[in-house]
Amino acid sequence: MTEEPYRWVEAIANRREYIENQLAAGSPIAALSCADGVLFVTVSRHQQKLFEIYDRIAMGGIGHPGDIERLRMSAIEVASAEGFSRSANDVSLRRMAAYSLSPVLKNAFEQIYGPPFLARMLFAELGRNGEPDLLLRLDYDGSFHTNSGTAAPERFATISGKEHSSKMMTQFLSGKKYAHLTSAEALPLALDSWAVGHLTLARDEGEIPSQEEIAAHRQEQLRAGTLEAVLLDRRSPAHATFRTLKM
Amino acid sequence: METGPLRNAGAACAAMPDFTEVLRRHGALPEPTQIAAPPTALAQDPLLAGLRTQATTILAFKFCGGVLVAGDRRATAGNLVVYDRADKVLEIDRHSLMAIAGVPATAWEMARTLEHSFQFYRRSQLQELSMDGKVRALSKLLRENLGMAMQGVGVVVPLFAAYDLEEALPRLYFYDVMGANFEVADFAASGSGSPSVRAVLQYANAYGPRPLAKMNEEEAVLLALRALDTAAENDTATGGVDRHGRVYPLVKIVNPSGISTLPEALLVKAYQRDLQSLPKNALTLVEIE
Repeated sequence: MTEEPYRWVEAIANRREYIENQLAAGSPIAALSCADGVLFVTVSRHQQKLFEIYDRIAMGGIGHPGDIERLRMSAIEVASAEGFSRSANDVSLRRMAAYSLSPVLKNAFEQIYGPPFLARMLFAELGRNGEPDLLLRLDYDGSFHTNSGTAAPERFATISGKEHSSKMMTQFLSGKKYAHLTSAEALPLALDSWAVGHLTLARDEGEIPSQEEIAAHRQEQLRAGTLEAVLLDRRSPAHATFRTLKM
Repeated sequence: METGPLRNAGAACAAMPDFTEVLRRHGALPEPTQIAAPPTALAQDPLLAGLRTQATTILAFKFCGGVLVAGDRRATAGNLVVYDRADKVLEIDRHSLMAIAGVPATAWEMARTLEHSFQFYRRSQLQELSMDGKVRALSKLLRENLGMAMQGVGVVVPLFAAYDLEEALPRLYFYDVMGANFEVADFAASGSGSPSVRAVLQYANAYGPRPLAKMNEEEAVLLALRALDTAAENDTATGGVDRHGRVYPLVKIVNPSGISTLPEALLVKAYQRDLQSLPKNALTLVEIE
């Protein structure tokens, strides 16, 4: 069947549709680059969604737990081996995503007889010496987007089960100032953006929900799930900057 | 199909979260050297002794503020002083310290491997490695190094000090060259100056005003400095306190809140005060009538 180019394109399209359906219920994740570090926030139900990868790198993922686990392990392995054989300063999220993770995801996605990764991930790396933080979204097909490359890098990034939901979160978060916010001040904002994303998961169009609706949803969901918040701490005296925020 | 670093990565890591295996897979760690039973003639060559750098005296003991670990700063090769600012007390993670005596090249690499393995375990398994696991990890590294040690180039005899958060206890271990670990209740010492250090600590513990475990930080620091200075009097490979070169030993303390390195200014003050309080001729040569 794959000898015919059209069939291959069709198979890829089917596969994309299948994966998007599988990811559609994924609880959103928001990352904000604020004064004291990069804050990751989500509300999880059954399993941990935010993870430490290396000294200055963290990850959040939605999708199949088995696939997320494999990718997480690979990322830790690649970073640790590099950090050991060269130095911690040589570990770079950009290189890890571009040369290790992305090609493998793309390959698995396009080899239509093998299983693809059902995973969408959000990575962050603390900037060194006052450089801006790198936020990077990596998708199941290997495509990735970063916040850099523009004159003023965005100070937030989001992933969600559906594109519209993610768009709404982006709209909600854009236009706000994060540079001087502490993680404690940024947390309610990140949580609100999570609520926006979660509310709009079931809607394919429409505007950002009203402030009251967001607040009500947020409260209701926090009762049902657990708030998960981690920080890559810019002010940490230790090399490992990752810490879980206790509520 | 999957290629490169991701191949089987997840499965292999989950089943065997051992960092040294990961490094081997990435070609970043050599296979352990085979054990060659008798030391080769080459290793015994006195000329070669000059090429083998050794780091010397280290000590550790429990006091009321945790575990104190100290090391002199001298690295020697044969009868040469190679370096006078060697760090022999290394931080492995937030609550563990490793002090090294022996060949620095091997010891520092061991410390690096250990540090990375603990972190790798925490990150991949989402939990801290247990105290016993950490102690055992160092045993394994020593065991793998046995081949090198037998050939006479790479002997390392470390101390491992940590605060056990689970049991809320300070812990102290010493190792032999083959990797056996021994937990000690009060103090441990290693390296060429260790006989003197052991004697000083033994004496202070048994006959001093109070046992080591009851000492406060000031007393503990002073005792550590005196012990290393005594070792330096008896062993040329120990640096002790070099008052002229202003090189003071490295002293670190591990307790429930983590590891702290004593600032040099504090050591200088403690030592100067000690000198002044002693009888005038205590540390100088008395003229023979």
